[in-house]
Amino acid sequence: MASPDPRRERLLLCGWLAAAFALSAVTDLRALGLAALAAAVAFRRGLPRALGRVARLVLPVTLAMSALSWAFLRLGAPVAPPLEPFLALAARTLLLAFLAFSVLARVNLLRALAPWPAATRLVVIALAQIHALRLLATESADGLRSRLPRRPGPLDVVRNASGITAALLVLAVRNAREVSDAMRSRGF
Amino acid sequence: MHVPDGFLSPAITLPAYAVAAPLWALAARRHLGRDAADALPVVGALTALAFVVQTIAIPVPGGTSTHLVGVTLLAILYGPLLAFLCESLVLLLQALFFGAGGVTVLAVNALAMGLLGPLAGWAVHRLLRRRAGRAAAFLGAWVSMQVAAGAVALVLGLQHRVAPEYFPVPFAVSATALLAPSLAVTGLVEGLYTVLALALLRRADLRGLA
Repeated sequence: MASPDPRRERLLLCGWLAAAFALSAVTDLRALGLAALAAAVAFRRGLPRALGRVARLVLPVTLAMSALSWAFLRLGAPVAPPLEPFLALAARTLLLAFLAFSVLARVNLLRALAPWPAATRLVVIALAQIHALRLLATESADGLRSRLPRRPGPLDVVRNASGITAALLVLAVRNAREVSDAMRSRGF
Repeated sequence: MHVPDGFLSPAITLPAYAVAAPLWALAARRHLGRDAADALPVVGALTALAFVVQTIAIPVPGGTSTHLVGVTLLAILYGPLLAFLCESLVLLLQALFFGAGGVTVLAVNALAMGLLGPLAGWAVHRLLRRRAGRAAAFLGAWVSMQVAAGAVALVLGLQHRVAPEYFPVPFAVSATALLAPSLAVTGLVEGLYTVLALALLRRADLRGLA
């Protein structure tokens, strides 16, 4: 299978950024509906997956915020506040999240960053370290759960997090030195 | 505490980029400019550390959870500018690789959570550390969370004032939603975490490692 063209990926990223800023200015519900339809057609491959992520990660916060605000305004006013601005806020947020998930699933960000080697190295180092440190943090949390006969409370987790932070910092700095030496030996 | 994409219009987000861009340039020149082979891995490692600390969920009464931020700790250990750079990278990685926050609001989030909050926490810690010791770290972290939450609430309030039809949520609601959990839970948790982590790091004498 031919690998995607990095220039196409960069164009897609630039298009997404421009669209995100443009859509973040839209308040008209009809325009947002049309944009959502266009986005769904353009990104129909992977549509259920992207919608699922939107529903899981963005929908609850957006709906809760809109509903609470509407209820707050309703309490202080003799007539119900108009629903349109709340619907537009929710639609805009959900559409922007859908666009982000759909575009980022189609782009290899590291390949797109290739013309900027320093940025690429920084992202590679950060992502690799995130992966390594996350494994350690997960193991530590599992260890905490296995040591306690009950569910860990907030104090248990904070105490454990402080300890793991010290270990993570040691590991992160040691890894950073190793990467630094490796980079220098390769001529960076 | 992240503002998601769609909550703020370009009238707010573009000026925020204009403010953040020179600060990013300054931070990058100061911390990445001298020797990339040495500085890049350290910044990458501290960014990863901040990212991972922010994934640690703290259960709070009521069945929900909050998470640590950990940027005040970085500001106290390595200075507010490096903390700003690392938190900005965390927010960028979260927006690009994990779908949290957003690209249009990146500068607003970075200024609130990466600069104003940690800068306030760092200043409080610097002012009180000789007299108050551990309490200075606790207070610094607590203040940092309140300043960050307050800044986000102010920006959302400003958006409501500029264009209520765009963001219909009044300042009172945004401020309550952001500051109530921050004052009651997140600030205390962050303060406790910062005190304990600093104590462990001092015991191991790790401050000069990076």
